[in-house]
Amino acid sequence: MAEFNVLGKNHVRVDAFDKVTGHATYAGDVYLPEMLMCRVLTSPRSHARIVSIDTSEAEALPGVRAVITGKDFPDVYFGSGALRDRRVMARDEVFYVGEPVAAVAADDEITAVEALSLIRVEYEDLDRIVDPVASLTGSSTTVHPDLEDFEGYAFALGGNNCTMLDADRGEVDAAFAEADHIIEETYHTQPINQGFLEPMACVANVEANGRLTVWASTQGPYQVRQQLASVLDMSIGNIKIIAMELGGGFGAKLRLALEAFPALLSMKTNRPVKLVNTREETFTLNGPRLETNIYLKTAVTGDGMITAREARSIFDVGAYLGAGPNSGVGHGLGAYDIPNFRLRSYGVYTNKVYVGSYRASGVADMTFAVESHMDVIAHRIGLDPLEFRRRNALKEGDVSVSGARIPRHGLAEVMDALQEKMAQPGNGADADSDNGRMARGVGIAVGEWRSGSGPSTASISVNEDGTVGLLTGSVDISGSDTSLAQIAAEVLGLELEQVIVAKRDTDLAPFTGPSGGSRIVYSQGKAVEMAAGDARDKLMALAADRLGVQPEALECEGGTVYVMDNPPQSIGLGQLARMSLSSRGGPIVGTASLSSMPYNPVFNAQGAEVLVDRETGQVKVTRFVQAQDVGLAVNPMGVEGQLEGGAVQGIGRALSEEILIDRETGQVRNASLATYLMPLAIDMPEIENVLVEVPSEDGPFGLRAVAEPPGFGPPAAIANAIYDAVGVRIRTLPLSPERVLAAMQGHEPEDYGLDADALRAAEA
Amino acid sequence: MKKVLQITVNGVERTILVEPWYSLLDTLRDELHLTGTKKGCDEGDCGACTVLLNGQPVTSCLVLAHSAHDAEVTTVEGLASGGDLHPVQRSFAENGGLQCGYCTPGLIMATVGLLNENPDPTEEEVKFGLGGNLCRCTGYSKVIEAVMVAVESTRLENSGETE
Repeated sequence: MAEFNVLGKNHVRVDAFDKVTGHATYAGDVYLPEMLMCRVLTSPRSHARIVSIDTSEAEALPGVRAVITGKDFPDVYFGSGALRDRRVMARDEVFYVGEPVAAVAADDEITAVEALSLIRVEYEDLDRIVDPVASLTGSSTTVHPDLEDFEGYAFALGGNNCTMLDADRGEVDAAFAEADHIIEETYHTQPINQGFLEPMACVANVEANGRLTVWASTQGPYQVRQQLASVLDMSIGNIKIIAMELGGGFGAKLRLALEAFPALLSMKTNRPVKLVNTREETFTLNGPRLETNIYLKTAVTGDGMITAREARSIFDVGAYLGAGPNSGVGHGLGAYDIPNFRLRSYGVYTNKVYVGSYRASGVADMTFAVESHMDVIAHRIGLDPLEFRRRNALKEGDVSVSGARIPRHGLAEVMDALQEKMAQPGNGADADSDNGRMARGVGIAVGEWRSGSGPSTASISVNEDGTVGLLTGSVDISGSDTSLAQIAAEVLGLELEQVIVAKRDTDLAPFTGPSGGSRIVYSQGKAVEMAAGDARDKLMALAADRLGVQPEALECEGGTVYVMDNPPQSIGLGQLARMSLSSRGGPIVGTASLSSMPYNPVFNAQGAEVLVDRETGQVKVTRFVQAQDVGLAVNPMGVEGQLEGGAVQGIGRALSEEILIDRETGQVRNASLATYLMPLAIDMPEIENVLVEVPSEDGPFGLRAVAEPPGFGPPAAIANAIYDAVGVRIRTLPLSPERVLAAMQGHEPEDYGLDADALRAAEA
Repeated sequence: MKKVLQITVNGVERTILVEPWYSLLDTLRDELHLTGTKKGCDEGDCGACTVLLNGQPVTSCLVLAHSAHDAEVTTVEGLASGGDLHPVQRSFAENGGLQCGYCTPGLIMATVGLLNENPDPTEEEVKFGLGGNLCRCTGYSKVIEAVMVAVESTRLENSGETE
């Protein structure tokens, strides 16, 4: 492998010192003179017509400066994707408990809260539907009767089925007819919260010239700008989004959240308005993930080759299509080459908070089902679970579900690495604790994702002291600023400290895709590599001119450009930058712009060792091992941190996290960190990482995506380990003590009512 | 009605007017604009608002400002002295003990509070000591590692050995 100066080495994050001293500024840390505080009134009803809203008492309260309702906004629908099914604030009807119906701006927060209690809303209840399976196949109640009139509605089954995705290949029915084994199962996953520590926050201010500035907590400043323009009926050019430090998002902050409320209130009051969500509101106002029900049917030959798969996945999207059910199709096969398949994924409306994105939305759900299913099949046909996966693993040259050629990848390598690591003794696990009460088990899961694509831009300017300024529109998540600076430093032969990453806003930096889907180092990084290359070419040309040699004779390294045959003949970057000011080409700026990157998969393999308490059903993860193909570990310490964080989110999903939804009203019942149980340090085993480096064909320096996959495998790996330990198969998340104990006592598992025949019939 | 609050924050004596129902957290942030202390839940569950109150770590969202009358409060902004980072701050930065950084001030203050009580904790004691602090990005491994490195470096410093 090539030797790098900056890449592949541990670096302190470029923002570390700001963050450990408390100087990093998040949206909630913005305090402006004359700033008002905003609070939001939400619906207490699951589905109701708004008969009337009386805000007069609230407006009369001293200290209240403005009150808005849905009718104060332009009469427009918008959407997270193509389907425009949603208003920014309820207008004539509410569709879930927690939907915004009014907002107040007041001198201080307590006055705003008091004003909310003075707003009188009269509702007339309408029929509601909470169960997504019934909503899809067996209900006459429709959440949005005018669904088919919504702009962007494409093919679906109608009723409450707002979107349906499909993919087909080969002779599925024939393959099932010829199969030696057919395995058919249904899985269920729970509603889940992203759990970011920084609640949604923003400050909006309308300037005298009418331009709107928003200090936002967002992963996607350009997406927020576009959606805000849409719901406020403003031009994009009149909005500036300043992306502040982001206190975690994990997908929840990709799109417009509540920025429109303080924005409109600022227009009405001509003062800055701040809105910070309460923790409760992070559960009830902004898209979490809701339940999925996944049906899988697989045909297998006697020697363990998968010949066909049928998958039908029902994604509860809540009241609006906040994030699509794409993963039901895209991840219905797992990391395997299956020649014949029929994949269906249904997005279904219910009267619940609408779904948002969370660390590759739905892929963790699909991976739980598919990788548990793989384990079930392996045991059924008497093959080692890892060997069964190896036999069916995707290879270079195979074709993905979407029809893309699979390029070089490290799937075989991560499975080898996991096996090797698991065979070595771990630190935490103690095999001796397998005794009468505690049962020990081991399970694995394989995950697949792709390096994220999308529009990316970067520019690099060379300063007169030889440092460079890097400008991109990407919001830093999980150390991406540091990775991008490393790429620029590597191309230009600089130290990391010589690259200054600009804090940016949408006026300053050109359009770029959001920070999500593991796209930054791969796609944004490519733009940075190209922009740095452009700056390098210009430095070389200028140096060649001054040194009287051809540019090909030069090298750019260690802060200078020098003649390769005669290194003392050189010019420093600072000197070149100063010279450039009066050169023909002017100051040196490198730029790059790209719209998309080729498909490139990422694979990981994860293994869990657990102890199951036979008396209580309690599961403790005693060891967790993961191997991921990262292409090149750009900053190994940072890459490990991402893998560890993702794995722990996955362990929380596996064992303890669940948004409890009232089955009658659809209301969130545990909107608090005291009752929504995220893992703590004391819950976690030491995570062991293996960074596998099979360079990607297209990424900068062979880099691949990192962030999404580590959260996929833990639920299946742990469920498989529970089966190994005590011989029970749990097909519902979370793998709670109650559920494990009930299974050990022989109780029937929960039935969520998914009827594959009814789905097939609905299609015909 | 606002009442007079006398409080020493990061070594500076302050006399300010604060509403009787204001929390110490809101006072630090809204009145003194010390925004390094973060509000993650306002219910005492997440630990992002941890500060030292007379040397003890507390979740400042659950402390009424006036109950800290005449007390000494240390926030994350008060840890570094004369441009030198506190060893715990340095260790978090150097060992990857932070990502988004929102829980970081609370984790650092909880760690400093823990080490005030128990300068030489085991890893298990650190995990329990940080039991009131949620972190969603790191998965805790590098946080615990950073604390153990800080413990080790402080021990070496105190015993006069060089690293």
